[in-house]
Amino acid sequence: MNGNAIEVLDLVKRYGNVTALAGVTFSVSRGEIFGLLGPNGAGKTTTIKILTGLTPPTSGRAYVAGFDVVRQPNEVKRRVGWVSSEVILDDDLNAWENLELQARLQGVRNWRERATELLKYFDLLQSAGRPVGGYSTGMRKKLEIATALLHSPEILFLDEPTIGLDVNARAMLWDLIRTVNREFGVTILLTTHYMEEADALCNRVAIINLGKIMALGSPAELKSSVGGEVVELEIERPVDLSALKRLPDVLDVAASDGKIRITVRKADETIPAIVKSLDFSAVKSLRVEKPTLDTVFMKLTGKRIEESHVDYRRFYAMIRRSRR
Amino acid sequence: MSGLGAFWGLYKREVVKIYRRAFALVMTFMQPIIWIIFFGSSLNGMPREYLVQFFGTPNYIGFVLPGQLATSMLSTGTFSAMSIVWDRRFGFLKKILVTPAPREAVFFSKVAGAVTRGLVQVPVMLAAALAFGVALPLDPVGYLEWIAALMLLGIGFSSIYLAVAMRSSDWQHPQLVANVMNLPLMFTSTALFPRTFYPAWMRAIADVNPITFATEIGRGVVLNDPYTPTLLGYLAAFAAASMAIGLLVARRFMTAE
Repeated sequence: MNGNAIEVLDLVKRYGNVTALAGVTFSVSRGEIFGLLGPNGAGKTTTIKILTGLTPPTSGRAYVAGFDVVRQPNEVKRRVGWVSSEVILDDDLNAWENLELQARLQGVRNWRERATELLKYFDLLQSAGRPVGGYSTGMRKKLEIATALLHSPEILFLDEPTIGLDVNARAMLWDLIRTVNREFGVTILLTTHYMEEADALCNRVAIINLGKIMALGSPAELKSSVGGEVVELEIERPVDLSALKRLPDVLDVAASDGKIRITVRKADETIPAIVKSLDFSAVKSLRVEKPTLDTVFMKLTGKRIEESHVDYRRFYAMIRRSRR
Repeated sequence: MSGLGAFWGLYKREVVKIYRRAFALVMTFMQPIIWIIFFGSSLNGMPREYLVQFFGTPNYIGFVLPGQLATSMLSTGTFSAMSIVWDRRFGFLKKILVTPAPREAVFFSKVAGAVTRGLVQVPVMLAAALAFGVALPLDPVGYLEWIAALMLLGIGFSSIYLAVAMRSSDWQHPQLVANVMNLPLMFTSTALFPRTFYPAWMRAIADVNPITFATEIGRGVVLNDPYTPTLLGYLAAFAAASMAIGLLVARRFMTAE
């Protein structure tokens, strides 16, 4: 064991004939925000369930906060907080009562002080006496995170933290996750199928699909691995491309029906040189394509993350039709 | 140690839910009250000497009250089963199981919560019986024994129903189990009629039916008719055995999925 917050070695999980995890290995350093990015059914939630001791792995090893999740589940459970994708609070209880329950389940003494501090921090103190059934989605999410932080965990697991939230609530939550990581010094492992979320929040990301890790690295590393950015020019008449092709930062030039696609390392820095190297009066428009984590996912799997998602609306429409 | 704290936290949650959901609580009262008022009154037109001869009281409501209170403890079973199914469905069980709280604490909190809910019915039913002319004797020790009997009955039923529902996430299951179990358990006890009315085979069932034990203890109090103290012992054995089964099932099968 080294000082990593999480250490996962060749984790396999099978449910009957279905393989949810097919040998997953990664580690998360202390203080890091680490993301598992992938479509539904990729194995993200299964990984969290194993790491929080909710379900045992079929094979492989996992250590959280230095403890074996199978052999020392209670040591692990005392040191982790878990926020599920759907908010799980007791709607009949108010915020204080939800926090008290968590305190008693975790064996936290003097929980009131810590709870007051958290409620204040999350701006929930005013409404803490009301049953949480009447809270907005954003408030519920905040209270759930406060509940998960009550026992001062070393590691926080966030399963699809912003699923079902509107744009404002999502931005608020991103800020919150960053500050929780910074100010409370908590290591965070989050799962998401939103590329922009992984990109905005995570120090490192593991792209996971069909129970396997396809790629692992910082968002910048992953994006540069797909081979640079593309500057696309729409032209009115043919231009001479020889000077352009000689530019040092240009990796590739492809011209076809009125468009030139120039692959470069960094578009922002290369555009001035591109402008100088050709007859720019022929150019109608310029567009820059920067790779996203979705580009990375697409290159690795041939699909977009959103496409790999089950389209529930279509699925239910299909069921309704078949009932008629 | 942490087990006790966890139990207390979870039990407190169950109790808060009882009074925050007052409507549901009132609905639980309704069924036994309907039984004692409507069913109880339906036999009160019998000639007085028949009533006294067969039921030992001129007011049949006084006879059926202990039977209905005992039967109403079956609702504790349905309630505890319902509560674990809901906790599983809404993910609350997962939230509990990611903490170091032992499964036993969850089990005991559900049993204690259900028994508390069942016992809240006692004063309401007694008041209803008083209002319908049942003369309740002043017998503090008797009432304590009666309440102890109802508690043991509640512990037994809630443990068994909890064990049955331990793996289920279908909210219809507890209701289905209740539909199949509750009426037969009531009819094969002495809750509604004295055992002398029954054919031999039904008497055999009534004699081992825990509802009979609690009914007879209550009837001893209401009708001032001494009962055998061993009845309480039988009920204690029933509660202990059910709890042991429930705990075994909880340890083995209370999982997050």
